[in-house]
Amino acid sequence: MIRARHQDKLWLRLAVPVLSVLAVVAVWLLLVHGVGVAPYVLPSPSATVRAIADDWDVLSDGIVITGKEFVLGFLVGTATGFGLAVFMAQSRWVLRALYPILIASQAVPIIAIGAALVIWLGFGLTPKVVIVALIVFFPVVVNVLDGLSSVDEDSINLARSMGGGPWRTFRTVRLPATYTPLFSALKMSATFSVTGAVIGEQTASSTGGLGVYLTQQQSRLNTAAVFADIVLLAAMGIIAFALIAVLETIATPWRRHGSAPRRWRTHVSRPGDVAPGSEVRPAEAAPPVPASKGAR
Amino acid sequence: MSTTAKLEIRDVEQRFDSTVALSRTSLNVRDGEFISIVGPSGCGKSTLFNIVSGIQRPTGGRVLLEGSDVTGRSGQVGYMLQKDLLLPWRSTLDNILLGASLTRRVSRADRAHAAGLATQYGLGDFLDHYPHAMSGGMRQRVALMRTLAFARDVMLLDEPFGALDSQTRMEMQQWLLRVWAEQRSTILFVTHDVDEAIFLADRVVVMSPRPGRIRQVFDVELQRPRDLETLTTPEFTTLKRDILALIYERDAAPGAPSPSSGGESPSSTPNGRQA
Repeated sequence: MIRARHQDKLWLRLAVPVLSVLAVVAVWLLLVHGVGVAPYVLPSPSATVRAIADDWDVLSDGIVITGKEFVLGFLVGTATGFGLAVFMAQSRWVLRALYPILIASQAVPIIAIGAALVIWLGFGLTPKVVIVALIVFFPVVVNVLDGLSSVDEDSINLARSMGGGPWRTFRTVRLPATYTPLFSALKMSATFSVTGAVIGEQTASSTGGLGVYLTQQQSRLNTAAVFADIVLLAAMGIIAFALIAVLETIATPWRRHGSAPRRWRTHVSRPGDVAPGSEVRPAEAAPPVPASKGAR
Repeated sequence: MSTTAKLEIRDVEQRFDSTVALSRTSLNVRDGEFISIVGPSGCGKSTLFNIVSGIQRPTGGRVLLEGSDVTGRSGQVGYMLQKDLLLPWRSTLDNILLGASLTRRVSRADRAHAAGLATQYGLGDFLDHYPHAMSGGMRQRVALMRTLAFARDVMLLDEPFGALDSQTRMEMQQWLLRVWAEQRSTILFVTHDVDEAIFLADRVVVMSPRPGRIRQVFDVELQRPRDLETLTTPEFTTLKRDILALIYERDAAPGAPSPSSGGESPSSTPNGRQA
């Protein structure tokens, strides 16, 4: 099914999403110019673009600051989540002990944690990174754990019967099973964690950023600037999502293809060249046997 | 015979608390021999395989490979199950190389050797395929090549063709015999299918449960190479009748004639699956 989709024409695959975005803009235009919604309620697309251009100096700084929080938090959250999942998968007792704590940590509203973090860590970069990391971390743990436990116990036995040590067995047989669920978690988190960065900045900040800008413009009832900020935040989430999706297709080619992509092909020469008789220990590979076997 | 044993299972015994999964069992396997093992569930076949492969240490007895003690040591013999257990993210070639990549750095020679094996046994066009893009039969071939590339000396095959349809199965049996003959491997082959057991083996070991043990060992003196004709020869039929009689004996009424009826069509045999 996936492959059938893969065979659709490229232009078609690109055109459909572009058209749907254009349709949203069209509705937006219609609301502003056709229905006549007031500009302080809903600024027109052009007013929004103008707002971005007018305040680009501040906004571009904001993009850098918020982007940094977002990317760092994302990486920290993914790494800790992955590490914790691997640790938890080592023993079911560790799993049972940690799971309730993990769930409790997610039940606490992120805004409340944000307030505490500001007290502990100040107004700088760190509390925001931690908030983003906290958001990313949970789906990563849950999904990676799922991936690890999806591996057939017999595969692990097989690896052991082949003399594979614990680390090699883990790396070869279990770890790659986490890639697909990991990327699902990352795609989800990519959009959530922009929210995390904004909440972190709005709780308290001395550094600026798109979240801070949002609060400022909101208090001035500058709807166009608020929209400008929203568009940039959305773009950030979309770009992150797209990057992760691209990374996923590169990292997990077996999900979309029937055979390994060329760059992943690892054997020395093309199949045709490797006929028995080249460098393949030819004598052993094909001894003339039937006679000796029949004699038994 | 004991002097030339490739694999010697000596007084091996496995208890779990009070239950005996496998009572004292001994078996000598000659170099290059093909042995089939048949028997109902719970007869200790899997336990025996786990012990020989070294995953499990028996509560008693020893396993000798070419005279040296390998009891409880894994990585000495190849092991293959009904499930192909191919890793979905590895291509055919990389799946075949699994054993190598679990124990050392995979070298160019390893790759070349694996590619050579695969090509020789009909997988040449599938080297880069992922498992999901291959049929059940093809996947089992890859699984066998993985076993072979790892340890072609002694291979334990636990119902490897159990999940295949009967035509594919027949093909696979002949293919396996070719691999075995050319590679001069020693094979222990567990199956529920008496036809399959006889067709493949030099000797058929019949096991029975509670406690798991070897009931009897039958010599199969059918000529090789074997083909479809083999399945209908009188020798084959006689042997099959004897084996079925032994398997069903304990369920038959005392003194009643054994219920086996020899010449049924292949793979439709009632074969000891009952409890």
